[in-house]
Amino acid sequence: MVKRLTPWLLAAPATLLVLAFLILPVGSTLATTFLEPKGWIAPYVTFFNSGVRRTVLYRTIEISVITTVLSVIIGFIAAYVVAHVPGRLKSIMIIAAVFPLLTGVVVRSFAWLILLGKNGILNSALLGLGLISQPLSMLYTEGAVIAAMVYLFVPLMILTLAGVLEGIPKDVLEAATSLGATPFGVFRQVILPLAMPGLIVGAVLVFTGSFTSYATPQLLGGEKQMMMGTLLYQRAMVTFDWVGASTVAAIMVVVTFVIVFLMTRLARRLNPMVA
Amino acid sequence: MTVSLTLDNVSAHYGSTQVLKDLSLSVKAGELVSLLGSSGCGKTTTLRLVAGFLEPSAGSIRLGDRDLTRLPAHQRDIGLVFQNYALFPHLSVRDNVAFGLKQRGVGKAERDAKANAMLERVGLSAFAERMPAALSGGQKQRVALARALVIEPPLLMFDEPLSNLDAKLRVDMRVEIRRLQRANGTTSLYVTHDQEEAFSISDRVAIMNAGRIMQLDTPEVLYQRPANSFVARFVGFENLIEMTVTERNGEMVTATTKAGASLTLSQTVYGAIPDRFILAARPDGLAVRQSGEGIPVTLGIRTYLGRAYQYQCTTSTGDLTGNGPLSELLEPGAQAVLVPVPEQCCILPPEA
Repeated sequence: MVKRLTPWLLAAPATLLVLAFLILPVGSTLATTFLEPKGWIAPYVTFFNSGVRRTVLYRTIEISVITTVLSVIIGFIAAYVVAHVPGRLKSIMIIAAVFPLLTGVVVRSFAWLILLGKNGILNSALLGLGLISQPLSMLYTEGAVIAAMVYLFVPLMILTLAGVLEGIPKDVLEAATSLGATPFGVFRQVILPLAMPGLIVGAVLVFTGSFTSYATPQLLGGEKQMMMGTLLYQRAMVTFDWVGASTVAAIMVVVTFVIVFLMTRLARRLNPMVA
Repeated sequence: MTVSLTLDNVSAHYGSTQVLKDLSLSVKAGELVSLLGSSGCGKTTTLRLVAGFLEPSAGSIRLGDRDLTRLPAHQRDIGLVFQNYALFPHLSVRDNVAFGLKQRGVGKAERDAKANAMLERVGLSAFAERMPAALSGGQKQRVALARALVIEPPLLMFDEPLSNLDAKLRVDMRVEIRRLQRANGTTSLYVTHDQEEAFSISDRVAIMNAGRIMQLDTPEVLYQRPANSFVARFVGFENLIEMTVTERNGEMVTATTKAGASLTLSQTVYGAIPDRFILAARPDGLAVRQSGEGIPVTLGIRTYLGRAYQYQCTTSTGDLTGNGPLSELLEPGAQAVLVPVPEQCCILPPEA
């Protein structure tokens, strides 16, 4: 009897924690939008009728997709190098990749303020080299937000991918080569499919991370480059429009689920073993 | 199309360590040659050089009239079978087999048909749709074999292909490998550390040590007439006795051991005997007698072998092992002589 209950008892604390601090608050947030007197669809109609808010949604998706794609490419190349260098150098490179994660998001976004500002390092350098005559305004652009977010998420990508790439047996790659696969063929037909589980985990982490980001777009994008995270904050904390804020949250949850679902589908086509 | 494989004075380095020293090797068309040796002898390095995963620091590698020395690995057209099977875990058994054909631009229908036919030959037709993870070790190695054979390579190479299989399966698989290799007449290079495996499967065996080939011969010659003391030890000649000729009388030669024991040997039996040589014998090549001409020894531990008694013997210049008849039970500590059995012994050049 006790034996049969043991697994349930062991799972109980974590289950209760998730239930109390995740499911209930998120559920009640979403429920808010359904309890509108004007009908559950009304807040969403309001959201999509507003050109500004639609733009914010599209911009958020666009920035997140670009950030994810860039992080995947840069992270993959870096992870490939990390997986193939000898032991000592590998530890140093892993530490270098993890190091930025030890500081806060705000600190790292501030670093980009210093880099990209009117009197920032990049502008000074370009002026000094005589490549430009007037400082460029690089802050508060989509590019600034993307650059900072890629910088933020690449370490995450490297960590998830390095392990996966190291786990691909060398003789499997040699087998492909011996059977006539070109280096690119080996990459496309063997490495990429076998790295797919890690790639999906990494891409989902990066996508959800950038889709829900708040500090980076706030600091480097400002009002001009408002994203869903900043819009949510503004609705809830500035205008006290709780229904509007809940609507934004609900849309974010739905978009995230849809994108994750699509990515998993894509992964399964490349590697049928991805669960 | 059967072609020969030729390695000409090939050297290889890992960093600053030389792992192969001027290795020359020729595998005739249709022949199966094994590289046999303990780990670190350079056998796998040789295979990797031919496969193109390593570049030689000197020398040339030719397959038929093609020079492989600097050719990229994917253009070498060699079928490889690995110790750990190295199947593609994300592809079905059929797609694994068809992989090489796909690289060669063979259309889907044709490569599936060829893969199916090859799976039939290795007895795995029923498993074509399965993923490699759902196969046993023996089945995986059959798939790997089919995958290497289906591209009809002019050269097949095996890197310890049976090491991960259990004993019974090992014997079955090596018969299978030999059957398929013979049927296709494919020139083959087979790397193993297992002497029985090498001797049973090969036309010729190259025994390797420290980056060199010590002897390349048929299993029969290696087993009966090793060319040097390394090979002799490797094939079980436990007793290596240094001797010096003291007298020559026509065909008969008298030689003494370091301890001064004197033996008379016939050159009709042993062939020409140099002034200094090593007399090599397995335990059954040294007969234990109570008296007579031979090497005087003190008998040690006796073991019953069924067909004979084996004695660990001590002499002033080292230990020897000899066999005595079942009819004559000798006790440890007794004095006896070891008499070479002519057909079971051979004469080797002295060690450098």
